[in-house]
Amino acid sequence: MRRDLKLRQLAARNPLRGRSSLQLAPTRRQFVAGLAASAGAAMFGCGPAREQGGELALLTWDAYADPRLLDLWRDRTGGSIRYEIHISDPTSVNRLRAGETAVWDFVNLNNPWARKELWPAGLIRDLPRERFEPLYGAMFEKFAPPYYWAMSEDGEHLLGVVQRFETFDFVVNSDVISPGLAKDEGWDLFNNPDFANRYGILAYEDWNVMDICMGAGIDPFGEKTGDDYTAFEATARRWINNARMITTDFAQLNLAVINGEIDAYFTGGTYSITSARLEGVDNLYAITPYRGPAGGKGGINWIELNSAVANPGSGEDVLDFLEWITEPEPAWIVANGNGNLQPVSQMAQPEVLSKFTTEQLAALQWDEFDERIENSVEFDIVPDYDRLYDIYAAAIRARG
Amino acid sequence: MRRPNPGILTMLPVLVFLLAGFVIPILVVALYSLMPPRTFDLAGSPTFTNYATAFAEGYWRPLMWSALGAAATTLICLVLAWPTARVLAHLAGRWATLVTLLIALPIFISESVRLFGLALFMMPGGGILAGSIDALFGVSIGTILYTRLAALLGLVYIHFPFVLFPLLLGVSLIPKDQVEAARDLGASGWQVFREIEAPLAAPGAAVGALLCFVLSLGANAEMNILGGQAVTVITNAIEQRFNYAQDWPLGAALTVLTVLLTAAVVFPVLKRIDVDRLARR
Repeated sequence: MRRDLKLRQLAARNPLRGRSSLQLAPTRRQFVAGLAASAGAAMFGCGPAREQGGELALLTWDAYADPRLLDLWRDRTGGSIRYEIHISDPTSVNRLRAGETAVWDFVNLNNPWARKELWPAGLIRDLPRERFEPLYGAMFEKFAPPYYWAMSEDGEHLLGVVQRFETFDFVVNSDVISPGLAKDEGWDLFNNPDFANRYGILAYEDWNVMDICMGAGIDPFGEKTGDDYTAFEATARRWINNARMITTDFAQLNLAVINGEIDAYFTGGTYSITSARLEGVDNLYAITPYRGPAGGKGGINWIELNSAVANPGSGEDVLDFLEWITEPEPAWIVANGNGNLQPVSQMAQPEVLSKFTTEQLAALQWDEFDERIENSVEFDIVPDYDRLYDIYAAAIRARG
Repeated sequence: MRRPNPGILTMLPVLVFLLAGFVIPILVVALYSLMPPRTFDLAGSPTFTNYATAFAEGYWRPLMWSALGAAATTLICLVLAWPTARVLAHLAGRWATLVTLLIALPIFISESVRLFGLALFMMPGGGILAGSIDALFGVSIGTILYTRLAALLGLVYIHFPFVLFPLLLGVSLIPKDQVEAARDLGASGWQVFREIEAPLAAPGAAVGALLCFVLSLGANAEMNILGGQAVTVITNAIEQRFNYAQDWPLGAALTVLTVLLTAAVVFPVLKRIDVDRLARR
């Protein structure tokens, strides 16, 4: 009965909120419109004219589009915020490359993009170190300055402010597969022939490529040999063919787990399940393997970096915003952004941590957080990603 | 002094809009398709490598699935829309407006929302259909969700009105007296359909079929939400190349191939349609 109630509640959720399939799988019209905008911007070297005067434009993941955050900023500064939520990291990198640096002030992307793509391409500007480095002192120890992903390759320039971070590996139904067994089995769970047709794939495709590497016994972030590519292809085809469903919408996968259609899915983590767990569906369980081929680790830890876009029209207000979001109240809102609960680096401060309820910490599987981070390598750009992705995409095309 | 042609002047805003919003982006995409793989500017040496890759790497497969899906959807919609249009045009009387409204209203609701609704309906176990049958009759049924069939059902569900309404226009062009005269002369139902109704309703049917085919060819939400990506359709393949593969030139080449396929279907049909006749209704 309780399960039915939860199912109905989940079904009643507006599927268009948050990072759902509408954003991740745009309709043909949205996609063509985006393409036309990018093409136009590339051709003319600029985007649409940006309204000036206290308005900040954010190209961001959902957390920073929370109305409470926008209202708090307006109350604090009198300035307004407009935003657009990413479809994916690479799509937004594309948009900045295509000339939309003239449109946005703030960009929030996973850790490798700033250091390895945006800064070398001149798409973001550096932050004054004397003003922003002290903020890193109030974060968890791993972010002690100079933090690798926040710095340019030459170590001279600070490229952003770290906030949300978590691992993102796979999710199981803990009523069917014990979390201890899943952590111990790790990625081999999906290699088990008995598990065929009992799992789904969340089509965050760059993540899928990394997971398949892990399943094939390859360090996703290391150099690959010819044998590695062979192993990757065999694993990709097997995992994709054996998947019960592939979707860009984690709500669909969560519903499929609740319905008993599948027992697990990758890629997944607290990012994809905290909303459901907060509503009582606590058998959705995020797993980070105890071990794996990435220097002995099997988990992948993403870290979002907030940066200032190299927009000639941007003023100081974007710097004020970058500093302000690390204050306890805004940081707490970001952690709860748009109903999607995720850890933030400021939870190292008792003042921020104390804002979370017991239920929220349970939804985050907070008691295992250090273990998850400990068993993970930090997200990076995958060497030879193009070749691996082409193998992955060919396996997807060959599925039907 | 020669005065400017008022026709040209009237047309100018639309012409500028079409040039900027349609022709130029298509040209940019066509130009990108000739750039070296995985490059981001338009200054490279033109090459047909991307087109060769598209065929060598099996991209004909997504194109085939999209074309097959679009053709099947169009056919099914035509078969379903024909009797519906006849009933609405000739038999429904004052109920016709209400029924038409009921069919038209969902168009104003987001396509994704409607497809999510259909997914919830089809879901096994706790889904609306399976859950209700289980609760009422104690019978557990399976589901077609996350199959090609579910995606096809979604395509038909979404695109049916696009066939129905032009066909309704076409059917309303059939003079009743011609049908009655044919019957008086002893024509069978099939002969009336073949000799009288089908030719007269053909422009409406053709417009509806074209709309349905083109929209279905470019659809991806049905395969994503209902089909569980059981197959990759061409729009998904294009999206993958632009986004996750960061390969704009190959994405652009696939886009151009899709546009060419669409044009190969649309233009021959358009040449045969007398749109004026429909508009003069």
